[in-house]
Amino acid sequence: MGELRMDSTADVAFLLLIFFIVTTIFAAEQGLTLVLPGKQKEKTDTVKVKESNIATIFVQDDNSITLDRKPIVINHIQMSIEDRILSNPKLVVLLKIHPEADYGMMIACLDELRLAHANKVSLKTATK
Amino acid sequence: MDYGRSTNKGTFIPTSSMGDIAFLLLIFFMVTTIFREESGLPVELPRAEAGEEVNRELVSNIYINRAGQISIDDRLVQVKHITDIIGTKISDNPQLIVAFKTDNYTDYGVVSDVMEELKEVNAVRVFFNNDIEGTPGQKY
Repeated sequence: MGELRMDSTADVAFLLLIFFIVTTIFAAEQGLTLVLPGKQKEKTDTVKVKESNIATIFVQDDNSITLDRKPIVINHIQMSIEDRILSNPKLVVLLKIHPEADYGMMIACLDELRLAHANKVSLKTATK
Repeated sequence: MDYGRSTNKGTFIPTSSMGDIAFLLLIFFMVTTIFREESGLPVELPRAEAGEEVNRELVSNIYINRAGQISIDDRLVQVKHITDIIGTKISDNPQLIVAFKTDNYTDYGVVSDVMEELKEVNAVRVFFNNDIEGTPGQKY
């Protein structure tokens, strides 16, 4: 008479279970990938690049940035590099960072280069 | 419930407890699930717009905080010991990706020193963890 029907509890439980299984997303980690040059055993492992094919971005210890010795704002790197890659597809970007510069600045530059589709990036640490 | 109601056949499986069983299983697995968690060091990750994902199975984390302390596998380590630690890992798994979870305001020099050590043991695949949630255009 006044009894609850329990038959459908299983269905409800399974529906909940399936709902949560399907909607669970594990927090994915986002980041930038980079392949470092391996240990160089011989001098022949080094690659020489013509100076005209190099764009140097230098992050100074006060976190100011220069592109080929001209000061540049972080947000403009993408555009400048994109233009330069268009005119010279062989362009290699040398990202030179002072050891006292902030890591965030280096990532910001790397991010800009990634957005500019600059695939040939070389990291260098400036001497103090 | 009207158990006496026998319609056409006498056999009849009680299904009312299936819900309980499903819930018990659910609770059992919820309770016994342990996520492998590494506490590392508290860091404020840099923000970036470009982002890729990597296979977590291949990743080994290196935490570097603002003070320049380095933590691998929840142990504070010094730069000179990284070759040993990562060297063992890379020989176990040559596909290893080393993920840097480094604070925005850490000196780049520390990261650079760690990367030099990684090059020594040919751990060349690195990954810089970003905070993708941040509002775009507000980097650094």
